[in-house]
Amino acid sequence: MRNFSSRYMRLPLLLIFAGSLLLGGCGDQRILEQVGLIQTTSYDLLPNGELKIAVAIPRVEAESNQEREVLRTSAPTSKQARIQMSRQTSLQLVSGQLRVTLLGKSFVQAGIGDHLDTQTRDPAISPLMKIAVVNGDAEQLLNQRYSQHPRTDLYIERLLGKESDSHSIPKATLYEFVRDYYDDGIDPVAPMIRRAGENIVIDGIALFKDDRYVGRIPEKDAMIFACLHGGFKQGELGIRLRKKEKSTEAVVLTSLVSSRSIKVTGAGDKMKVAIDMHLNATVSEYIGGDLKLGKPRDLKKLEQKISAYMAAQAELLVKKLQQAGADSIGIGSYVRNHMGYPAWKKTNWGERYPRIEVHCKVKTRINNVGKMK
Amino acid sequence: MPTVKEKLSSFHVLILIYMTQTGVVIISLGQMLAQTFGLNGWLALPAYCIAVTVNLLLIGLIYRMGQGKSIFEIMEQRLPKALLAPLYLALTAVWSMLACLVAIEYVFIFQMIAFPTTNPVWFKLVIDLLAMLLCVKGVYTMSKASTVFFYLTVWMYPFSCLLFHEFSWKRMTPFFFHEGDFSPMGMTGIYTAFLGFELVMLLFGYVERSAKLMKMAIWANLLVFASYMYICLLVFGFFGFGELQHMQFPLIDMFAFVKFPFIERIENMLYGLLLFTMLSTMSMYYWSASEASGRLFTRVKPEYRGLALVAGTFFVGLIPDTLADVNVWLTWLGIAEICISFGLPLFLLALLMIRKEKGKTAHA
Repeated sequence: MRNFSSRYMRLPLLLIFAGSLLLGGCGDQRILEQVGLIQTTSYDLLPNGELKIAVAIPRVEAESNQEREVLRTSAPTSKQARIQMSRQTSLQLVSGQLRVTLLGKSFVQAGIGDHLDTQTRDPAISPLMKIAVVNGDAEQLLNQRYSQHPRTDLYIERLLGKESDSHSIPKATLYEFVRDYYDDGIDPVAPMIRRAGENIVIDGIALFKDDRYVGRIPEKDAMIFACLHGGFKQGELGIRLRKKEKSTEAVVLTSLVSSRSIKVTGAGDKMKVAIDMHLNATVSEYIGGDLKLGKPRDLKKLEQKISAYMAAQAELLVKKLQQAGADSIGIGSYVRNHMGYPAWKKTNWGERYPRIEVHCKVKTRINNVGKMK
Repeated sequence: MPTVKEKLSSFHVLILIYMTQTGVVIISLGQMLAQTFGLNGWLALPAYCIAVTVNLLLIGLIYRMGQGKSIFEIMEQRLPKALLAPLYLALTAVWSMLACLVAIEYVFIFQMIAFPTTNPVWFKLVIDLLAMLLCVKGVYTMSKASTVFFYLTVWMYPFSCLLFHEFSWKRMTPFFFHEGDFSPMGMTGIYTAFLGFELVMLLFGYVERSAKLMKMAIWANLLVFASYMYICLLVFGFFGFGELQHMQFPLIDMFAFVKFPFIERIENMLYGLLLFTMLSTMSMYYWSASEASGRLFTRVKPEYRGLALVAGTFFVGLIPDTLADVNVWLTWLGIAEICISFGLPLFLLALLMIRKEKGKTAHA
């Protein structure tokens, strides 16, 4: 009898449970052919203060002869723009597959704090979304077709991914950008790209002071910046050590492994920052020089030359960052950790940073010079 | 005391209490610590662990003085049932509403992440049914289920090593407890993350004599403490204090960072798995409420009591319709539960010390 009543009670419960589970799937449907998966979005600032926003959506339906759809509009905010853009398409726009956000120079110069809030607030947007600054008009760069490359949005995403893997540009995802933006001891950075004829090229590194674009590091200094920014395990670096009358002494380092440490000494106006970098590399090319790399003494000389060159370049780069007021390598966080809490809170780091004395020291070690002596 | 054929072993007690304590709060604990205690606020967690341990030692004293008898027996042998009825009603109300609201909070966050326009009532209904089916089976089956749930969720801890490369001690800063608001509500909210241990009071009589109930409860609390310390330390070093203050669910955002060549956005899966820890907490609270109400309605079968509690709280649970409302309700119920966790053992201690058992008084 007890078993019967227990079964009698359990059956409708199980039916309700199964019914709810199955019927629950009827809500919030996302049918792939009816969904516009935004993969890339671009932001530019118009002279009237509105945002020019464009989105690129791949088309997956068999009937479509286009491989992607680009929508553009202008609106005061990005979410309003999305509402307007959804009127231009038969697809339901969703941000879950947003891979890259392109920020036009005009937009980043005005500061992007509010925009970051929009991006981080949306639970659909992945913190792994890449951020890149476009030296020019972001919408035009995205709208353009580059005939010898894959679909533009895919092309940009792969380019950024590949370059950040080789440390030619810093890894700038939404997570890293927002994290550094909120940290009081470091400023965010982002790779910069531009259109170059039928290609898109890396155009250096965009520097930010808080949320505002304040300058750029040219692509030739990107590797030195990477060494200053933090350690990495795989990189390539070409160095022109000395310019002679007819030739140039140059070396190319591959399999570059870099580590960096920052030490802060002294207090007040006598505070000094020492950046120590350790490089381990393989020489894959050495031309125009008198050194015989098979001889240990000459190899030592080459290491010293590279170290001296890198230290000088790094100091120049730090000065450039200080002039721009962008603490992109996070010196502030080391100064903060060196100081006591009250002293740090009293310090106006933004004002102090350009005046602080920074020295760079590099120690290079060449692991091997290839197959030839 | 109800007749129980099977009794809980030490391991099952450990896992059951651990799973009851671990809840959805874990996803926002880092932010709560940053806001309340400021820089390196995660270091406030040992104080909470000590407070809980003190509370557990107090409960242990009751266990020893009461010679393992159920708390209801201790009370009923010393006080008339009519006098205890309001207390039983209050315990039933607080425990069943806590169970209900824990589920609503989970559902609202789940809805925000995955199904923004679906009516959350559907999800709540399904979860309520699961919890009810679990709680009417009794504490032995629940502990078995919790053990399975434990194995389904525990892999998240070793999995988090994938995030180590973004962790930075430098970001933690060497400053302690600056910039926190030290609000009593914030502090209480963090304590609620540890709640669930107090239900050990209801396990008196359900465990094997060799199981060392209180020892296992203390170990379970230490396990919860260790897991919270680990997660919060990771969150502070992963995001930094500045960002942490602005976030709601840092743990979800942290796991969103993990990407494999074959899968990404695994935070959705992680959140789905948190259903199990929530289900353990929820079913234990419903079971506790059912036990308390059982002292008043002795003739009603546990199945029907469970059904009535789940159905009753389901409708009350429809009142708070935003996540913010649910958090306010949960905070107040959390305060009530903290009062119960300290107040009830103190009350029992007083009874054990002042009044003798009815039978013994009669013979005296």
